[in-house]
Amino acid sequence: MTFPSMILEARGITKTFPGVVALRNVSFAVAAGEVHAVIGENGAGKSTLMKVLSGVHPDYEGELLLDGKTVRFDGPREAQRAGIGIVHQELNLVRDLTAAENVFLGREPTTRWGLIDRRRMNREAAELFARLDIDVAPDQRIGHLPVGQQQMVEIAKALSLNARVLILDEPTSALSDRETATLFSLIHRLREQGVGIVYISHRMEEVFQVSDRITVLRDGEWVGTVPTAQAARDELIRMMVGRPLTSFFAEDERTTPDERVILSVENLSLAAGVEGRRTRMQNVSFEVRAGEILGLAGLLGSGRTEVLEALFGAYGDRTQGCIQIEGRPVVIRSPLDAIRHGMALVTEDRKASGLVLQLSLRENMSLPSLRRLTRWGMVDGARERRLVDEFIERLSIRTPSREQRVANLSGGTQQKVILGKWLAMTPRILLLDEPTRGIDVGAKAEIYHLLRELSLRRVAVVMASSELPELLELCHRILVMREGRAAALFARENATQEKILHAAAPGG
Amino acid sequence: MPRILRESLLYISVIVVFAAGCLAAPDFLKPDNQSAVLRQVSQNGILAVGMTLVIITAGIDLSVGRMLGLASTLAAMLLVEKRWTAATYFTVPAAAVSAGILAALVAGTVGGSRSGRRTLAVQCLAFAAAAAAVALWAVPQSRTGFSILSVLVLVPLAGFLLGGVSGVLISKCRLQPFIVTLAMMTSAYGAARLIAASSGSGYIHSLYDSQGNVPTGVDSLRVIDAAQLAACLPSWTPHFLSRSLAEGALRRLLENLPVPGLFFLLCLGAGMFILNRLRFGRHLYAIGGNEETARLSGINVDGVKIAVYAISGMLSFLAGVLACAQYRQGKPDMGAMAELDAIAAVVIGGTSLMGGRGRMMGTLVGVLIFGYLTNILSLRGVSTDVQLFITGIIIVAAVLLQEGYIQRLASRLRFRRRDKESFSRPI
Ligand SMILES: Nc1ncnc2c1ncn2[C@@H]1O[C@H](COP(=O)(O)OP(=O)(O)OP(=O)(O)O)[C@@H](O)[C@H]1O
Ligand SMILES: [Mg+2]
Repeated sequence: MTFPSMILEARGITKTFPGVVALRNVSFAVAAGEVHAVIGENGAGKSTLMKVLSGVHPDYEGELLLDGKTVRFDGPREAQRAGIGIVHQELNLVRDLTAAENVFLGREPTTRWGLIDRRRMNREAAELFARLDIDVAPDQRIGHLPVGQQQMVEIAKALSLNARVLILDEPTSALSDRETATLFSLIHRLREQGVGIVYISHRMEEVFQVSDRITVLRDGEWVGTVPTAQAARDELIRMMVGRPLTSFFAEDERTTPDERVILSVENLSLAAGVEGRRTRMQNVSFEVRAGEILGLAGLLGSGRTEVLEALFGAYGDRTQGCIQIEGRPVVIRSPLDAIRHGMALVTEDRKASGLVLQLSLRENMSLPSLRRLTRWGMVDGARERRLVDEFIERLSIRTPSREQRVANLSGGTQQKVILGKWLAMTPRILLLDEPTRGIDVGAKAEIYHLLRELSLRRVAVVMASSELPELLELCHRILVMREGRAAALFARENATQEKILHAAAPGG
Repeated sequence: MPRILRESLLYISVIVVFAAGCLAAPDFLKPDNQSAVLRQVSQNGILAVGMTLVIITAGIDLSVGRMLGLASTLAAMLLVEKRWTAATYFTVPAAAVSAGILAALVAGTVGGSRSGRRTLAVQCLAFAAAAAAVALWAVPQSRTGFSILSVLVLVPLAGFLLGGVSGVLISKCRLQPFIVTLAMMTSAYGAARLIAASSGSGYIHSLYDSQGNVPTGVDSLRVIDAAQLAACLPSWTPHFLSRSLAEGALRRLLENLPVPGLFFLLCLGAGMFILNRLRFGRHLYAIGGNEETARLSGINVDGVKIAVYAISGMLSFLAGVLACAQYRQGKPDMGAMAELDAIAAVVIGGTSLMGGRGRMMGTLVGVLIFGYLTNILSLRGVSTDVQLFITGIIIVAAVLLQEGYIQRLASRLRFRRRDKESFSRPI
């Protein structure tokens, strides 16, 4: 039976990878003018299903129907031509091209002579960006933009296709509330125009806010599809994890930090603006005590990432300011220096700076700890494997083996590998940039628990996040960034979402 | 396609080529032909080992061929001339500096203490000591002509420095490996011609003297002299062994065992050790896979890159010395275009030019396939022109197989067919 209004339908899809059954007999359909959310744990098969729908994986068992007719897309291009647009979970932009060039990649408007009509391209991109409220110049090179803005460009690119089905795979994981709101109003508009939208997210509030129906996947199998109006949060979580919810949110006792200051930062600035970023980080000062979790809040491009990266020595000599660790001034000119001082940085963009995709989980996870694992320059394989196994277990990382290439892991699992990679080197100071990006509900709770444990072990944590509830829940104090400067500092007791948003708003 | 099959595809392909050789040419299996192949591939093989390391870091070294030519010129002049020549002026200081740098590096890691200043002092001392030692050892030899052993040490050391220069330009000045090594290739050729011509007897330096003799020891870089080996055996060696060595089966075996092949296997083993066991090897993969991640994981990216080009330089100079002994002459033109063969062998072996992926075993296979194919074609009397043409086709075919293109095509066709069947079925 096919609904006449179903644009895209998948029947009995099974997709296997060596050693993994990613999808097992999954059926799924999107109707015109509906927002269909897909939820599930990390590695449940959400992205894989989307890749089947959008022609990335042409080799699956089962049937795909477009307007009731069987199709098999030979590649993403064919799916695109059939009106299926997708924003993938990972960024897929060409770093050396401009924003406009990325949006029109492969479909560049041309002049009569067959040359690229740059002026028209930039004009159309500018219109698109204005519609999406994106603060990026069309001729801006994309590589050095903050991840959130890159994500918005990626969304603009999918929109410019005028797709009939728009698939959004965790589009908001790198966005802050403001961009999310813009995106949602856009989704509503598209829905009215009869576009079918598939929406994947680990943030339950968003799913409730935006969707009409919800499909739950677990371990590659379809668990159920329910109208959002009749769905209850707890019930959905139970469907996702197959266990009742209560086993997770066991209330951790709140930790109290020491008086002892571990990290003190004074007037941290970047000498010249980092290429492509409009704001410059200037004169940021703060202290982190042993066992304290300091939150960094702020809008996209407010300088949170720059603070963390500058601290970690990623900008080399361009960083100015005075950094003290346990009362002693230190010079940090490179990540290597920072690591020697016991610092770790979980970066924001897994693909660009967090992982080496071609390498195995083991090789990725041990990378910063290798120095400790070598003798006479030789890697001690047995110790390395033991270390990696320990963290696979502690972070409950879902992988067929420790030798799996990280490129083949699901997005959330990759994020856990990065966390494991830095936790394995037992840092004294842990810098986190959007650490729970793309991580499922259950795992998020586990990671919060882990951070509290670190806090008990007197590790100093600095954590940037776009999710205010997360910061409010975890942090002892929250530093709000605005336009490259520290705008306000709240203790947890008197921090509220409104106060933080107010402090973060430009010109506020 | 199951992983096991894909992994063994490489080895299967050597076996196929080998079998094809046996069928196509009756002379193929003969010991002296096999020995000739090993001899021929070992030069390319040594270059390919260095090239594998470089390519894994997502770099490329175009200079290896011309560096080989330069090294052969230097080696020939050092062996034959009994006075200071341009070759001496070039090799001895470069080797001394290289030795100094290596010593300083070792001192830095072994004696690495917390205080940076003291480490630096130790390193300076180590540098001076090693450089002086090399100079004091080398300079007196220039009057008598260098022994083959000192050439075998000094010339590769000089190559280490030259490769290091490429590495510094690539990492510190952020230049493209392609362009830097292209420049190095041209300059090395120019330097080789200048040095070769400086002694006034043309570009080609023969190792033969007027009586038709070569300097002592040169032949020990070509074949193992079984008779001589038998003579130096200690008296307690079992009789059958020494007899066999003097005139029996062992002797025939050794005579067919080319020494350059042994050097190749040694380099290959070292390369495998680097890639599989050393932290340095892991760093090569990480840098080639994602340089930014590598840097943020605390890897000294610049240092690793300099080292890898230095190693490639050293290996190409070693190959140059061996080539000089092999052909009993040194000339700038030796090894022209050898870089392309080396790159082809590495790529056939499954190492990705994009970096981050590749293995030494693959390179061995690539080198062997390359060598055997050339051998089979020439045994069949195929002309060089046709050989070159066919080689090009083979490279493309091998890489297509490597990248799984053919497998993907097959699976796509399979699913197409299945769709058609289910489509015609009534639902
Ligand atoms: N190319 C691949 N090769 C091998 N295994 C893969 C590949 N892609 C996905 N997988 C596996 O398939 C399973 C489903 O992955 P998928 O990316 O669809 O999960 P997901 O639901 O999107 O998770 P997340 O919430 O973490 O993004 C995982 O176990 C993953 O390891
Ligand atoms: Mg996913």
